[in-house]
Parts: sequence; structure tokens; C-alpha cells
Amino acid sequence: MELFVQQLINGLTIGTIYALIALGYTMVYGIIQLINFAHGEVFMVGAYIGLTAITFFGFVSGSTLPMAMLYLAVMLLISMAGSGLLGIVIDQIAYRPIRNSPRLVALISAIGVSFVLQNAVMLIYGPQDQGVPQIVPDIHFIFGDVTITLMQIMILAVSLVLMVFLNFLVQHTQLGRAMRATSQDHKMARLVGINVNWIISLTFFIGSAMAAVGGVLFGLYYHTVNFHDGYLAGLKAFTAAVLGGIGNIPGAMVGGVLIGLAEGLGAGYISSEWKNVFAFVILVLILLFKPTGLFGERVADRA
Amino acid sequence: MNKTVSALSLFAILLFAAGCSKHDPVIRIGVSAPFTGDQASVGLTILRGTQLAVDQANAQGDVLPGYKIELVQIDDSHSPTQAVAAAKKFVSDPEVIGVVGHLNSSCTKPAAQIYHNARVAQITPASTNPEISKQGFDTFFRVCATDDLQGPKAAQFAFNELGARKVFIIDDKTTYGKGLSDEFAKAFIAQGGQVLGHQGITQGDKDFTPLLTKIRPMSPDLIFFGGLYPECSLIIKQARDLNIKAPVMGGDGIYDVTLIRLATPSASEGTYATMIGADVKALPQAQEFVKAYETKFGDVGSYSAYSYDAANILIQAIKLAGAPDREKVIQILKDGRTFPGILGQTEFDDRGDTKNKIVSVFRVRNGQWEHVRTV
Repeated sequence: MELFVQQLINGLTIGTIYALIALGYTMVYGIIQLINFAHGEVFMVGAYIGLTAITFFGFVSGSTLPMAMLYLAVMLLISMAGSGLLGIVIDQIAYRPIRNSPRLVALISAIGVSFVLQNAVMLIYGPQDQGVPQIVPDIHFIFGDVTITLMQIMILAVSLVLMVFLNFLVQHTQLGRAMRATSQDHKMARLVGINVNWIISLTFFIGSAMAAVGGVLFGLYYHTVNFHDGYLAGLKAFTAAVLGGIGNIPGAMVGGVLIGLAEGLGAGYISSEWKNVFAFVILVLILLFKPTGLFGERVADRA
Repeated sequence: MNKTVSALSLFAILLFAAGCSKHDPVIRIGVSAPFTGDQASVGLTILRGTQLAVDQANAQGDVLPGYKIELVQIDDSHSPTQAVAAAKKFVSDPEVIGVVGHLNSSCTKPAAQIYHNARVAQITPASTNPEISKQGFDTFFRVCATDDLQGPKAAQFAFNELGARKVFIIDDKTTYGKGLSDEFAKAFIAQGGQVLGHQGITQGDKDFTPLLTKIRPMSPDLIFFGGLYPECSLIIKQARDLNIKAPVMGGDGIYDVTLIRLATPSASEGTYATMIGADVKALPQAQEFVKAYETKFGDVGSYSAYSYDAANILIQAIKLAGAPDREKVIQILKDGRTFPGILGQTEFDDRGDTKNKIVSVFRVRNGQWEHVRTV
């Protein structure tokens, strides 16, 4: 039983990171029906910006808890701002000019952006793994046979707060209503006075900022980042978004956590050799039997 | 106007290119290992060791009358496909006389076929899988010990010196990782030890907590990892985070300073690694090399001494051949003579493996790799 709880914690930790990335996929899809395949790279860039912030401010390992919280907050804010802007720039350069072209065109453009970002990061930071200093104190909480680290608690707490905030933003504010209206019909939204282009930019900003949070937490959790990291994490988050029903925000959150749990439990109880397979088996099953995902009501191919 | 300009410049480039092909005669030595990606820090020690040997040889004058040596480097990104592509590129250049490479056994093994077909000598500084030299290629040579020695030596050390009786084995499913951990398991069981389980992970993966959580209640005395340092450092860190106290042991693939940095010094304390040769820093004949390398590149790292020796053996063979002749170089390497080097006297057996096989054990102590002893 303790073992099971431990595996749940493991799966939950990585699952919330997938969920944060999945939000960007789902939000962008919801608003312009584009699978933004460069999104995994935005996540990776977010991790690198966080690392740069640590180096720039000279944050040191093994600091006290309040200092660690401050460092983390600074890293997150800088990374969110940087990646958010990157998201807007990507949209302006790679997607807006071809907004009315067939969807496949934008998809190819997205893959191109993904290559550019990967290689740009490789050229700037070098091809080696970059070590991320441990700024969150190395504290373990041990309950019988269950161990949870302070870092894991931080990951869960930060993700939870952000997801609640995002849900509130989308469901209960004027801005959120404008976003939902835009996702339903661009022309009608424009008729009622919504600046559609601005809303699209905002969506890219928020989605990318969420991925950046995932990136920073990912770097701090595993202590290393690599320019390849966005690829696999991005694919799994995409799977999470499809699982939850692409275009559905709470769906992406639940999907991410489920993918993390499936991976954790699958690797723990079946075989760690097949760890990466579990997520994609789920993707295939979902596409075969419930293409709209768990919470998706939207028809995937609307006019 | 614009068109004329571009046509003219194209013409100029063509002229320049034509001029380039008539360069001074050179002998090329190829070097290939992962120079980018997560294994770059180890791969670069291979590049730099080779570079140092070539630079020193050129500084001493022409290798053969009128010939300088030139190093050609190709990154194989620890991918077998890239390694085969690199090998094809090397052999298609008639000026490449020999190759130092590769790092991963999974790359060295298929590439060896290409070198053999094209009759180009290949010396690996670091691939330890014993199967590679059993393919029957007389162009293949190796300056390091192999896993059928390293695995059993590691098992003996774990059983006798560390007092381990129950181990859990993890490998990265590669030719090297799986081969080494199989050898370890066989020898450990033969000693009377118990293997609690043997599971694979995927290279490039980052989260090993599910597997480690499964291992924890078995409370092994030791976790043996067959693989390289990027994954090993994460395994060490995540094991400590899960409150697993058992030390981690691995082969030459985890012997790198980056492991300590990535796993954090406190978590990696007490990690053991076997290495496929003597402690270079302690060898009297290697002191000059260590000094030259450190002034130029910093710490000697994992395989710089091995690639340095490999390159020097190639250079000596080219000198003995008296001409930039691929086949002659192979015959000289094959005919059982000894080549002096910083690792000692290298003599190849009829499979191309060095007869100078030593395994040493290193341990992380106070955030540094420390030589324990030669086994």
C-alpha cells in the first residue's frame, strides 16, 4: 500500500508538469484549431530561461526556505514573461501570416519553428546537458515508507495554484469570456467588439507562460536540462491534451495527471523498459475509441 | 546587374574551390564519438586526447617526409546510424588512413563492419563490449579492457570488498550497458551473491522514480547500473530522494566528473565505478601527458588518455608503414609488435584487443573521483 502511495506521488509530480504543458496545446487549439507543435520547445526554452535567471542573479544552492521561495518566484516570473513573449512572437512570425491557409500548412510551420528553437538553444547554450543548481533545500518528509521531497510539494503547490487561477480567469472574468467567445466564432466575436488578434496573442502568452512554469519546475526537479527535453515532454503533454479532449482546459489538467500516473504505475508495476510506451498506447486507444477525449464535446473538425 | 554579380561570385567560388583541391599532401586520421548531446562531456575527452596526439606529432616535424597529419572529426551523437554514416564518410576519403572511435559499443560494433569492408584501421579508445572483437574483423583494435573482464572484476569487488550480497541491476538496454550488467550478474551469482532483479531503462529518460520505488522495499545492498553517467546521475539523485541508502556502482560509462555535478556531490558520495585501465594520473609515464592536457583542456576526464594512446599507435604505425597506405598500417598493427604509450606497452592479440588489460576501481569522495585500487 505504501508502495502504491509512493508510486502515486511519483506519477502525480511528473503528471502536473505534463498538465502545465498540455494547457498551452489545448488553449491554442481551442482558439485557432492549430496543434502548436513548437509548444514542447517553448517548455524547454522556459527551463533554459529559468536556468539563466539563476546564473544571472547568482542564486546559490542550499538556501533557506524563504529565500528558496523568493528565488523560485523570480525564476518563474522571468521565465513566464520571456516564454510568453516568445509564444506571441512565434504566432506573429509563423502562424499569423498563414492564418487562412489550410491547417496542414500551419502544422508544417510549427514543426519548422520547433527545429529553429531547438537549434538556437543548442547554439546559445552548447550541446551539453546543463546542470541546474538545487535552489530548493533538499528536505525529505518521511511517513513510514512514503517519502516526499520539498521540491515535489513545491511542484504540486505551484501547479495547483496556477491551474485554479487559470480556470478562474477563463470562466469568471471579462477576459475569459472574450477568450471563450473567440474560440467559438472569430467573426461573431469581432462583431461584438472583441479584438480577436489581441485575444489570440494573449492565449499564446498564457499557454507559453504555463509551459515555462513546467520547464522551470522540470529543470529544478531533475537538475539537468538539455535542448532535446522539449520533444518527448511535448509529445506526452500533447497526448495529455488529446486524452482530456483537446480544446478543453480542465480536460488538459486531468489528462496530464492521468498520463503521469499511467507512466508511474506502468513503469513501477509492469516494466520500466516500456515506460515511454504507456503514454502513447493511451493516445492510440483514445484516438481509436473516443477521439473527442474524456471531456471533449467539441467536434474535432468543425467548419 | 545583380545576376552578373552573382554569376561572377559563383565563378570565383568555383575557382577557389578548384584551387583548394591542390593542397599539400596530408594524412588524415578520423575521430568520432558523441561531441554533442548528453554524452558530449565524455565524447570530447576522446576528441581532445586525439587532438593532442596529432598536434604533438606535427610539432615534432613531418610524420612521413612531406606529410602532415590532419584530424577529421565527425560527431556520432551516440546513435548507431550516425556512427555508420560517419564511418562511410571516413572511408570514402582516400586520405583517411585510420580512425579513432567510437565511444558507445552500440556505435563501434556496426561501424566496424564499414571500416573492415573498406580496409581502414579502427582503434576504439572506449568501447568495452567483448562481442565487437568477435566479429572477425582484422581492422578492429582496442586499447581498453573489455566487459568480460570489467563485469567480473566489479562483481568481485562488490562481493568481497563492499560485502554486498543482494544487488539490483539496472541497465540502459544498449550493447554496452546490457553486456556489462549481464557479465556482472553472471559473476556475482557465481560468487554466491543474489540478484534481486534486473530491469532496463531508456537512454535519455529522466524519471526513474517508479523503478526505484519498486526496488526500495527489496532493500538491496548495492544497485549496479550498466550504462552511462547522464542516466546514472539521475538514478543516484532520485534514489537518495526516495531515501534509498544503497550505494550505486557502475562501469567506465559512469566515470566522469559530470556525474558528480548532475547528481549533486552529497548524493553521489560513495558511488563506485570500475575503469578499464590504470589510474592515469598515477602512472609515471603519463605525467607529461596529464600536464599537457590539463594546461590545454582542463581535467583529463575519462578517455583522453585512451584516445591519446590510440592516436599515437596509429601515428606510429603510419611511420612504420613508411607510406600513407591503409593496408600496410593494418598489417603493422596486426603483426603482434608492442607500441609504447602512456597506458603502458600495448600489444594487440589476434582479435585486436589489447593484452594490457587492467581494471581499477574509483569512488566518489568529497565530491571527487578517488582511485581506490586496481583489481
